[in-house]
Amino acid sequence: MTEPRSPGMSSMPQTAPVHTESTSPAVEMDPVEYTLRKRLPRKLPKRRNDVYVNMKTDFRAQLARCQKLLEGGGHREICVHGLGLAINRAINIALQLQASSQGALQLAANTSTVELVDDLEPEDPDEAGEPMTRTRNNSAIHIKVFYPDPQ
Amino acid sequence: MSAAKVKMREKKMRNQPSSVQYSASPRHVESSAKHTHTHTHAHQFRTLQMQCRSDYGHLKFRASALLPRSHPSSAGAFATARASEVRTMLKATTKTTGSCHVFGALPKHMRRRAMSHNTKRLPCRLRDVANRMASSKKKKEESKGKSRKARRQHGNLLLEFNRRQRKNKWLETHIWHAKRFHMVKKWGYCLGDRPTYKCYRSSYRAMSSHCLLQDLSYYCCIELQGEEEKLLASLSQLTSKEAGPTFAAALSLSGQRQGSVDVYRAGQYPMQPLGPVTFLWRPRAQGSTHRQLWIWAHPTIKPDLLPELQTVCQCCEAVLPPAAPAVIPTEGVSALEPEPKPEKTPESKQITGTKRKQTFKDASEPSEKKILGDGTRSPTTPVTWKSSSNGIVISDLTMEIVRYRLIGPQSHSVLVETMEAATDCDPSCLWWPEHCKNESKMNLHQQQADVFHLLKGVYSTGELPSGTVLGLTVDDPRLTLPTKKVKALPCVKQEKRRELMLRGAPAHCCQSSLWESSVRDNVTVNKISNKLLNHMRSELLVPGSRLSPTPLQGRVPILLVHQPGKQVGHEMTSWGAGWDLLLPKGWGMAFWVPLVYRGVRIGGLTMSLKHSQNKGAAHFPHDYPDCPAGARFQEEQEAQLLYEFKRYPPAKRNNYIKHGCLAPFCCPWQQLAEEWELILREGGEEREEDRLTQTSTKADAVMEVATPREDVTVTKPPSRVTVLRNKKSLRLLSGWCRPTTSKGQRARRSCGVLPLDRAAMALFLSAHGMSLVWVRLSLLSKGKPELHAMVCVPTAEDLMLCGGGPQEPPHRDHFKSPFRRQKKGSKKEGKESDPAPASEPNSTAPEGPKSSLALPMGLWPDPLPSVTAHCSRVMLGWVTQGDFSLSSGRGEALGLVSVAGLLNTLFNQPAERRGTLLLRNPASLHYRVAKVNLEV
Repeated sequence: MTEPRSPGMSSMPQTAPVHTESTSPAVEMDPVEYTLRKRLPRKLPKRRNDVYVNMKTDFRAQLARCQKLLEGGGHREICVHGLGLAINRAINIALQLQASSQGALQLAANTSTVELVDDLEPEDPDEAGEPMTRTRNNSAIHIKVFYPDPQ
Repeated sequence: MSAAKVKMREKKMRNQPSSVQYSASPRHVESSAKHTHTHTHAHQFRTLQMQCRSDYGHLKFRASALLPRSHPSSAGAFATARASEVRTMLKATTKTTGSCHVFGALPKHMRRRAMSHNTKRLPCRLRDVANRMASSKKKKEESKGKSRKARRQHGNLLLEFNRRQRKNKWLETHIWHAKRFHMVKKWGYCLGDRPTYKCYRSSYRAMSSHCLLQDLSYYCCIELQGEEEKLLASLSQLTSKEAGPTFAAALSLSGQRQGSVDVYRAGQYPMQPLGPVTFLWRPRAQGSTHRQLWIWAHPTIKPDLLPELQTVCQCCEAVLPPAAPAVIPTEGVSALEPEPKPEKTPESKQITGTKRKQTFKDASEPSEKKILGDGTRSPTTPVTWKSSSNGIVISDLTMEIVRYRLIGPQSHSVLVETMEAATDCDPSCLWWPEHCKNESKMNLHQQQADVFHLLKGVYSTGELPSGTVLGLTVDDPRLTLPTKKVKALPCVKQEKRRELMLRGAPAHCCQSSLWESSVRDNVTVNKISNKLLNHMRSELLVPGSRLSPTPLQGRVPILLVHQPGKQVGHEMTSWGAGWDLLLPKGWGMAFWVPLVYRGVRIGGLTMSLKHSQNKGAAHFPHDYPDCPAGARFQEEQEAQLLYEFKRYPPAKRNNYIKHGCLAPFCCPWQQLAEEWELILREGGEEREEDRLTQTSTKADAVMEVATPREDVTVTKPPSRVTVLRNKKSLRLLSGWCRPTTSKGQRARRSCGVLPLDRAAMALFLSAHGMSLVWVRLSLLSKGKPELHAMVCVPTAEDLMLCGGGPQEPPHRDHFKSPFRRQKKGSKKEGKESDPAPASEPNSTAPEGPKSSLALPMGLWPDPLPSVTAHCSRVMLGWVTQGDFSLSSGRGEALGLVSVAGLLNTLFNQPAERRGTLLLRNPASLHYRVAKVNLEV
């Protein structure tokens, strides 16, 4: 299952919130009075050939992981997912895979929007009362890397 | 003759009569001694002597005395002398010598080891003697107890169990645990420490990817009832808003969330903390200001917390259990059911007083009942206190409610699979049918059940808002027990879970009948026994099918409380989140086994320590040295560690003096804080003189001045050291801990933290100079930090050094040999002056020997020298938990450091390497580089 020890697997949840900070919309409340806690993005069940890319793990390691799945693992296709800042890296990995396969691999990219949840905890809980939750959106990419069926 | 031979000879001679000496002239005796054992002349006694030689050769037999001599002597005297000798000889022959084993008489090749146990293996002629000896040796016949069959009979077994839990309480899952766990007696309970099978890693995996189950029923629950404002007014004395949300935090007050708070003695903040507690408000009933509050505390806090609560609530009137129904306050009314003693069921009341000495019949009759709840308490001990002035009622619900903790992202799946919302049924005298009559209550139940089903669609427990509470009534989980162990897996659904994720369970769904003590008692008393249930099952037409209709008694009110995972820091967010399951007492095993059958792992006390360590949270009582319970724990820990240390043979013990470790077993926090305050004060004065500031060389220089600090500390009032818990200050400090480059910088700018300069530092220290602060240290390279590892300040060169870490030069053990030391005493002056590495403080060395005699070698005697300046690197604090962290793949440690020391260090470090410290294990000379993290 997803094991936090190897963040390459459950990558998306862990790093993405950190890096999406700059993209978050302007906050209307005074930032001093609230503490922002980002919750994990929603996880989905993971197949064996799903690779969630993050910014913490070494790039080469993630690339090697994908290659292993395609060559040694016997999968005809894998899915590379990236969220927020990791989109770049996901694309990079997919292209590298394609380049190293001498054109045998094909790519099919999909984009989506992921809803993320933040908790806002008031620093002075008794006065301000209500802790808030807000949702914001972040972009994600899902690249299918596959060997085309021989026709 | 070797010493062993002498000893052996003495042993042999023990029972022998001393040899007889016939008074004769000294010359004669001398000459006779020469002839001892020579039998050449003794023809009269030859045969006898031969016999003597074979068996009693040791007998000093003066053969020469028997010889006829030319010496003139009377015949009478001669005869008496011979007579006495013969007597001695006869005496010697009748007495056995040496070891008393009969088979000593056997030649060696005929002896067998088993003969000493079984006399029948001896030759016949020796058997009688051996039997006689064996019977005389056996002191008393072992009292023959009951047969195993009798002992294992249900009633007798229960009697025995009840006797055994008189001193230490048993949890309901005790028997289950005792079969599988190493049990420890702690805090008045018998608790499972760790399983007997290997499961360290699999338990970690369970926590991070499936589910780990723990029995936390030993946590004490204290119930407070009264008007909301009065309760809040009283409780506000115990907490401070500076240290985070209090009892009055809006969401917790509504009952939607569980809250947690650090409790202090009334009005003493920030001094005298008691410890962390969690609390749960019962949701408001319509049109009533009467509230009910549960405070859950660790059993070691309870003895301090309960009197403190009684003081602030002015609840000094103890309500005696029998008088309970009469004293119910009349103001809250509608919400408050008439409350019979929540204390215990009547049968358990009778048990506790019975003494073993009483006749069997008296004792046996009541105590054959199973103890539910607290079995150690005497029935006359008050458990409820009420106030005459403000109507607050405090009751002690220890052991009244079973609490299970499920940790891990799949814990909700396990819960959903184990339990089913209760089905409704026809009215009868039980509580659930009564409940069913009420339309609004049934609506509520329906909504709660809906929310519970929504849980199924959630992928990870961490997705829910932390502290969410959900009340529920479920069917007896024993009915849906799978025949085989299965692993509960989630089935993700998209619909409708958004609201649950954002807001948690709606406010009215947090209500549960578990709050009513009458319902709790009803459920406990009417529980179907396993035996009956199995009997009903066996009569089913289709074996293994579900019982239908569900037995009426099988409806249990429960509360589910979400436990937040890792909340601080950026990595591993919400790791270790889970659910707490609250049950009425008596139902423990009924829920435990079905939970276990859903493929969870079971953890003990060790695992809960690891859980909080991986979560980066302080664990009570290990990490609270400023609380009374924490101080007690440290003393116990010191005694334990010292005991373990002494069990090693002296040559195999670590010499902590040589390792430059002053306090391997107990950390002198107070001394540390005082020393750092002094260093900074001296440093400040020095700075006035010259503006030069260097890293820690300055601190070293100051230390020399500070060495005779005894006079200073004596005059100072004994101010107790505290741990910094002020959120604002912590946040400030946390910003300063990060290096100013890369990611950290951005975070800091966005937070708008003021930069670390001298003014800010002085301001901070004026407020928290004497405090400690709780930090997480992650090693940058190799190394596994251990308990009480030292946190030190790196020098400027250490920061430049890459790879490994610096080494501590070995210290000299001045206490090793007092004798040698005394001899060297004259040379001592010469010794001191040589540039010995970080030499021992001279002032304490001479006074050592007396106390060091009591202490084992390798430990510093009691008046410790300056702890900060003892080693080549200045010390900041100690590690309270350290291990290789499976979640980060490196060594990680949690420890406390002096605020003054930390700030001074940070201030002197270059901005890009800020927050780098050194870590050294007590039994090692190698410093490891670590990064300090202070997460708020």
